[in-house]
Amino acid sequence: MKSPGAVSFSVRLGVFFASLGLFFVLWEVAALSGGNSLILAGPIPVLNALIALLQNHLPRGTLGIQGADAAILQTLVTIVFGFVLACIVGIPLGLIMGRWKKAEMLMDPWLSAAYSIPIVVLIPMLYFAIGADLFAEVFVTFLITVPTIIVNTQHGVRYVSNALAEVGKSYGASESQFIAKIILPASLPDIISGMSIGMGRAILAAVLAEVLMSGNGLGGMMMTFQDVLQTPYMMAVVLLIASMGIVVLQLPKILEHRLSRWRETASLSREMRR
Amino acid sequence: MRASYARSIVLTGSLIVFVGVWWVIAAAVNNSREIVGPYQTGNAFVSLFTDPPLTRLLAAGLQVTITSILLGFALAVAVGVPIGVLMGRYLLVDIFCDPWVNIWYSIPAIAFVPLAMNWTGISATSSVIIAFLITVFTIIINVYGGVKNVSSSLVDSGLAYGATQSQVMTKIILPATLPNIMVGLRLGISRAIEGVIIAEMVFTVVGLGGLMDDAADNLQLALSGALIVVLALISLALSEVMRYVTRRAVAWKESQAMVRE
Repeated sequence: MKSPGAVSFSVRLGVFFASLGLFFVLWEVAALSGGNSLILAGPIPVLNALIALLQNHLPRGTLGIQGADAAILQTLVTIVFGFVLACIVGIPLGLIMGRWKKAEMLMDPWLSAAYSIPIVVLIPMLYFAIGADLFAEVFVTFLITVPTIIVNTQHGVRYVSNALAEVGKSYGASESQFIAKIILPASLPDIISGMSIGMGRAILAAVLAEVLMSGNGLGGMMMTFQDVLQTPYMMAVVLLIASMGIVVLQLPKILEHRLSRWRETASLSREMRR
Repeated sequence: MRASYARSIVLTGSLIVFVGVWWVIAAAVNNSREIVGPYQTGNAFVSLFTDPPLTRLLAAGLQVTITSILLGFALAVAVGVPIGVLMGRYLLVDIFCDPWVNIWYSIPAIAFVPLAMNWTGISATSSVIIAFLITVFTIIINVYGGVKNVSSSLVDSGLAYGATQSQVMTKIILPATLPNIMVGLRLGISRAIEGVIIAEMVFTVVGLGGLMDDAADNLQLALSGALIVVLALISLALSEVMRYVTRRAVAWKESQAMVRE
């Protein structure tokens, strides 16, 4: 009766596209029945606004803000810089924490604080301490992204199968070989899933920093459109931000799903050979 | 016992290091319009509870913020758990809902803020909507994962002994999924907290987050810092409560695992 694996990917895809149509119909109905396009614009005006934005056309009444292409570029640069910085700092830290108990104990209070206190709360204070330029926004993005990267790396490293570790040790692997050849490859799936979640955090952080700090970029543009009652344009930016999140969080999962099918068959044959 | 002793030493040490570094940076910058030190922040924190006008502000803000968090969270649980269970149990619901849940789950919280502002204005209602929207999908995903992985031998033996569908649900599936539900609730509460704070910071006039952002805008950085401490304490308290509830709820599961080993 219930065997989720039995439904093929293409069936799921077909149902999804059917429900996508239903979604647009419901959206249109909601917009029509609301009767006020300032509160909820229908899908067609929003898609038109999105196309206009991607062609770098801004609506009337939004003089003085940067062009759409500059805004998109700025947000992307903030996301990428903050994210890369978070990886450069977070992956080694996670590795150290996962590998050495003392390091884990030392850093655990900081990490659990960063996890149970929403770091976003610091943004208004950081604004006064470090300004609202690109550096400040990259720093905020880094700060919000790095705990996710550390925790996922640490988790992956800590749960590397002991069987693998034993083999490495008994064949006399040095510490650097041990890390490079055993720990990193074995924990790679966790590190990558951490990077995917981290990228989602980076998008949130960059846009939020733009809303609260500089007023530039996609976040600033979104709030400007909101202020001047350009609802279709505002919703187009929301759609853009949302789709960025969807791509970075879902694409790796779909790819992994396809890849892991291959990995499963590979590991199966290995079992049989033994 | 010794491990917990060492842990509390590390915790105290970290706190001292944190306050010390903060103090040094604040002293080095020496500009109360850029950064305030721990001493002034501490003073402002005390005055939050001793200065009557501030206390009134704090009480009002606390009430709005905590109500928004708990209401958004409770709504997300009430909607998310049943949907997650249905998705895990019925293939048709699964195929239909799964992509949508994942899509909505991936949308950054800030994207919901202007939408909610349009629908319900700059108000606590909007905070609740945002908290609900970013919490519910986390809960659905965790509950769904749990129900889907309930061992079919459990369900089959239940059915073989003539259990009805509702009995299978309440006596087999829900207890077996409880640990996943609790994980979902724990992740959910922190997302609800973050969602409400993000919303309030953008709104600037609602709740503690608004109070904090407003104080910073008026260059009352010490007050803003004190309110950040309050918000941090609320978050710590709520996640601590959630952790305690989790431990109580899944205690039987852990003891069972111990016996099995």
